[in-house]
Amino acid sequence: MRVLAVARNTFREAVRDKVLYVLLLFAAAAIFGSKALGWISIGQDIKIVKDLSLAAVSVFGVLIAIFVGTNLVYKEIDKRTIYTILCRPMHRWEFILGKYLGLAALLALVTAVMAAVAAVYVVVLGGSLDVTFFQAVLLIYGQLLLITALAVLLSAVTSPILGAIIVFSTYVVGHATSIFTELPPQFDGTFSKRVLEAVYYIIPNLSNFDIRAEAANGVPVAPGYVLWAMAYGAVYTAVLLIIASLAFQDKDV
Amino acid sequence: MDAIATRNLTKVYRGHIGRGAVKSLDRLTLTIAPNEVFGFLGRNGAGKTTTIKILCSLLRATTGEAFVMGQDTRRRATRKHIGYLPENPYFYEYLNPRETLDFYGELHGLTRAERAAEWDRLAGLLDLRDIAGQRVRGFSKGMRQRLGFAVALVGDPEVLILDEPMSGLDPLGRRMIRELILLLHGQGKTIFFSSHVLGDVEQICSRVGILVKGKLTTQGRLDELLNRRVNRVEIIATGLSEAAAAAVAARSDGVRESEQGRHFFVNDLDGANAVASDILQSGGTLVEFTPIRESLEEYFMREQETVS
Repeated sequence: MRVLAVARNTFREAVRDKVLYVLLLFAAAAIFGSKALGWISIGQDIKIVKDLSLAAVSVFGVLIAIFVGTNLVYKEIDKRTIYTILCRPMHRWEFILGKYLGLAALLALVTAVMAAVAAVYVVVLGGSLDVTFFQAVLLIYGQLLLITALAVLLSAVTSPILGAIIVFSTYVVGHATSIFTELPPQFDGTFSKRVLEAVYYIIPNLSNFDIRAEAANGVPVAPGYVLWAMAYGAVYTAVLLIIASLAFQDKDV
Repeated sequence: MDAIATRNLTKVYRGHIGRGAVKSLDRLTLTIAPNEVFGFLGRNGAGKTTTIKILCSLLRATTGEAFVMGQDTRRRATRKHIGYLPENPYFYEYLNPRETLDFYGELHGLTRAERAAEWDRLAGLLDLRDIAGQRVRGFSKGMRQRLGFAVALVGDPEVLILDEPMSGLDPLGRRMIRELILLLHGQGKTIFFSSHVLGDVEQICSRVGILVKGKLTTQGRLDELLNRRVNRVEIIATGLSEAAAAAVAARSDGVRESEQGRHFFVNDLDGANAVASDILQSGGTLVEFTPIRESLEEYFMREQETVS
């Protein structure tokens, strides 16, 4: 199948990207280093290790999605490998979807590896793992799927540097979308307020995917919530991929 | 049904800040019959690659239409009929030829068994077996071109569109490509190829089109386009006395001397025959008698000058 052929190749190529291993190394360092912060907070060390490890999985996952994702389509055009691909009897959306799925598969592997390292480290330190920890990992992956879709969209329409800046800004702002609605009273009735509210509805609310605090403290999270958050991410992802396909449909390469 | 047809194909590249729009192709209307070998000529920047990219639906025409095997090139199914070799083809560097062909076979919609059969067929045709396991990364220009040709032939398309297939190749490589084109022609394929190497085109094309600054200035059979009349004859002779040589020179339109002997140039065939018999009667030896016909190169230069 054409989509899978593209996805498989994208995966094979991304696995060879050196940036991936550099980031994984940093992620491992962050996970192991979290003990240092745990040590200064007496009696809380396992909690801190869990919290910071999950944060590391999220941040380094996002960095990989950004570095690899914003290059995905751009690189094919830049290196002209795209010529011999798009002249085949395939739809352009199949190419976009294939690229996306290839990176999504890679991120699944990377997230699983980072989470496994974190989990083993927690157990070695004498902590225990509960289901919330794994729910948190799943939601981090849900967030990565969304971020990757945005990165792929941008890689089809702009340069990797601009794409990376936009995706990273979205990641940062997406975790603090409430700032757009909780405005001080002097904004009431102004044009700025309406613009910021519009931004609130456009930017994905990434804090929906963040149950790190619950995971660190062992507070149970309802499976229904996890399902709802994943569905939220899926809808956003689908919309972004549709926009990417439409933008790419008539693009001159 | 034409194998390839374009109707008023125009491509304007949108300008960026500080740069105006550029018209790369101007109302190109072209028809190529099935099983033709068509040479698409023009200088760099004349619009050859733009045309080819529109035919392969990598670019959208600003206006006009293009058809391959009677179907609009914008339709996905049309591309089943097209094999495309870009200029300096690029492939995934970390794949080897076998994996590369397998990948393109899959994109072409071939089953696993069909892809294995394609590998056997194309590896034999393009001599890929010795390099089957090597990564593309270390490939020479000639190896890349062979692989590129194989990729273009995956799925056995009827129409082959080749962008500068011989550029940058050594004489052996060029010869291989020429022979391959003739072989495919023999199998009934239509071949459309762009080039600025006129000698190659002259040897293998049945028809040519010349593109100058985005406009098609000429389209036709080579023997009709080129003035095949003899417009000059070069005669080389030795063993003539000074007096005899002067007499012969008086009847010629030009003379020069070289190590080979005296060269006499005569502008018509009858006159040249008379000069040759004079040489023989004066006791001279005829070394060479060469009628000179117009070459594609001369025609091409004439065409460029007319337009500019």
